[in-house]
Amino acid sequence: MAEKKKMTVAEILAAARAEKGGAAPAAPAESAASAPAPGASATPESDAADAPLPAERPSAPKPAAKPAASGGRPSVAEIMALARAKKADGASSVAEEQAAAKPAPKAPAAKPAAAKPAAATKPAASGGPAKASAPRDTASILAAARAGAKPGPVSKADAPAAVKTLLAESTRPSGKPDAPKGASAGQDAAAKPVATKTAALKTAPPMPTRPAKAAAKAADDEADRRGFLSMALGSFMALGFTSLSVTGGLFSLGLARFMFPNVLAEPPSRFKVGFKDGFPVGKVETKYVAQFGVWVVNSDIGGQQQIYALKTVCTHLGCTPNWLEAEQKFKCPCHGSGFYKDGVNFEGPAPRPLERYAIKIADDGQLEVDKSRAFQEELGQWNDPSSFVPV
Amino acid sequence: MHSNGLFLKDVAGFLGSYYTALAVMNGVAGYLLWKRSKEPTQALVWTVFAGVMMILASLALSGSPGLVPALPAWLRGLVNQLSGPVLYTLGTTALLTVLFVFRRFFVKPMVAWTILNAMLLLMGLSMADENFASIVMKPDNVPIVGLVFLLAFFTWVATKQAVVNDDRIAQGLPPMEKLDDEKVLVWPDLVYTELICMIAVSAFLLAWAIFLPAPLEEPASSVKTPNPSKAPWYFLGLQEMLVYFDPWYAGVVLPSLVIFGLMAMPYLDFNKKGNGYYSIAERKFSYLTFQFGFLELWITLIILGTFLRGPNWNFFGPFEYWSPYKVEVLNNVDLPQMFWVNLLDRPLPRAPQGASTLTQVGTILLREAPGLVLLGAYLLILPPLLAVTVFRGFFARMGFIRYMIMANLMLLMLSLPLKMVLRWTMNLKYLVSIPEFSLNF
Repeated sequence: MAEKKKMTVAEILAAARAEKGGAAPAAPAESAASAPAPGASATPESDAADAPLPAERPSAPKPAAKPAASGGRPSVAEIMALARAKKADGASSVAEEQAAAKPAPKAPAAKPAAAKPAAATKPAASGGPAKASAPRDTASILAAARAGAKPGPVSKADAPAAVKTLLAESTRPSGKPDAPKGASAGQDAAAKPVATKTAALKTAPPMPTRPAKAAAKAADDEADRRGFLSMALGSFMALGFTSLSVTGGLFSLGLARFMFPNVLAEPPSRFKVGFKDGFPVGKVETKYVAQFGVWVVNSDIGGQQQIYALKTVCTHLGCTPNWLEAEQKFKCPCHGSGFYKDGVNFEGPAPRPLERYAIKIADDGQLEVDKSRAFQEELGQWNDPSSFVPV
Repeated sequence: MHSNGLFLKDVAGFLGSYYTALAVMNGVAGYLLWKRSKEPTQALVWTVFAGVMMILASLALSGSPGLVPALPAWLRGLVNQLSGPVLYTLGTTALLTVLFVFRRFFVKPMVAWTILNAMLLLMGLSMADENFASIVMKPDNVPIVGLVFLLAFFTWVATKQAVVNDDRIAQGLPPMEKLDDEKVLVWPDLVYTELICMIAVSAFLLAWAIFLPAPLEEPASSVKTPNPSKAPWYFLGLQEMLVYFDPWYAGVVLPSLVIFGLMAMPYLDFNKKGNGYYSIAERKFSYLTFQFGFLELWITLIILGTFLRGPNWNFFGPFEYWSPYKVEVLNNVDLPQMFWVNLLDRPLPRAPQGASTLTQVGTILLREAPGLVLLGAYLLILPPLLAVTVFRGFFARMGFIRYMIMANLMLLMLSLPLKMVLRWTMNLKYLVSIPEFSLNF
């Protein structure tokens, strides 16, 4: 992957982990070079631009690379600089750097102490940004923003030069700790020498200042609590909440009333279907299906001629079966359940016979079906005299 | 039927462009093969095939209905006569088995191309049949036609990659997926791809909605069920399951178990191989189990429910007229009836009128004893038996709890095909039938 322009996430992470236990005295040059690293994916140009540096400034990187190769863990900065250098560098230092860079990703230090050193070195880089005014591309502007709101390397063409200046400036203070490099007041930390900072990071971070203890409650708190009742009853707030709850309550009551309308649009559960004569022997009357969901059948049940009302709901899954006159059966279109004329299931998945509604002869001699009562054969309810009318 | 000539005139235009498209497709294929391949024979074959398609197209567009290419009537009659739920299920099982066993042959691109062309040609020839066309070209069903081809394609691609990987693994090489493990970024790589897909799919759906309008039917009514009444296509597998089971089982328990089983998979799986790449040889059990559940118990049932189930949920051959008056003898009986009445020649145990609840429950349990015993043996005795025989290695590696969950999930999945077979062979309705408590199995 080192041949590619970008380092993979895995490599960066491994390198960052390696830094944790790595050599503290990371060369400032590399630290500076790694400044744009967090934005590496967005700034390939500056990455490329960084690359030649170690080769051109052999005095700085070489000593750094050697300890890494000789056994100490390389820092993020070192690894990154080396990885970049490999891309653009002449063949001279490739072999040596590979030796340094290769073991780094494999370093097993697992704790993600990462990124901090890199981030911390960022402001250092911002100390001496290129003052070029060439057209800026998005990547460099973003990198610049990350590096402390200062314009960074501006384009691929002049980036190497820019970074060189940058490095030159940022490395110099490492020798002179008191040289202020911070661009703004907020970057005091950045002004401090990089080497010192890296060292400081190795020690424990400063404890956060303890927040002030909560102030003692005001003396008139008690008074407020006592005045709560008067406030609750007297203030506009109380008025608002009171009216809100009253409205809500009334609305709920109205909703409850809405559930029980005065007039029901559905057909009555008791209805008359005409006189017995209208149901000749063996006939399945289907004209009440559409309105009432009932077949009125005159059939022979166990040797007795009966008129009964079958519910048009399949006992399997509730579809409405069709009466097939030619086959003399009720057949459900959903899963193929079949019922004989008496409502008993015989084919398909329906587990039990169709249900009957209550039927009787009303005072005027007509048959009256009552849908509020149903009779199930498997419970032995078809023997109930209300479930049929003998002919 | 009587208007066959009229129908053929209507469909001729479509068939003409259909065959033309086939011709263009194969012409392009022939050209590409000729340019790239070292042997020009295949290029020649597909170019000739394109020519034949062109002839079919001109026949279809000739204007005389008699010339529209179609399957001979006797063949259609034979297919109708032979087809039924049993043959369909056995046939699809056999087909999928053959495809699996000889996958090395079927993943060859030229073989796949031949099969694709055969499928398309067969569909074109069948389309000249009015009954077939009326079902296949129904706007609701067009997606299912697409599903058949899409699913075949994706299964083929995955199988091909798995076969290649299996070969490489056998040679000690890493799988193909390991060669290119470059990471891509969510932004912009993935998001751009998604954006493009989103736009393309939206455009496709718009065109679809315009050219294949959804059928508007009469207002819904609780007492009027359309005949046939079909679930949405993705639930047709469920609807087919409901033919063999009580709603609580096929509609509630089994679907929940499907989801539960899919969720349990990662915890049941102890095979560490095959992670992140296609492979069949390294995960044979997982692969076969999943494909059986998906292709066999879900997809084929969707196809069955869409194209072959007609009015009254009767089975119809692909070229058969969907008559609501078709009579099929589907009488079936419960296991207690078989056991007590048919086998022992005694009446079903029945609690006397007005007996106490305890007596009634006892009588019911006695009546259902054969089914309950069978069911208990199936779910409680079979898993340990399997553990010491077929699944010995599984049991050792999975431990008791994981093995029992796996075995019971497998057995419950297999309960569907087993119940189907029992229905077909023995006219068995339910093993346990307690309608008093709506408990049937």
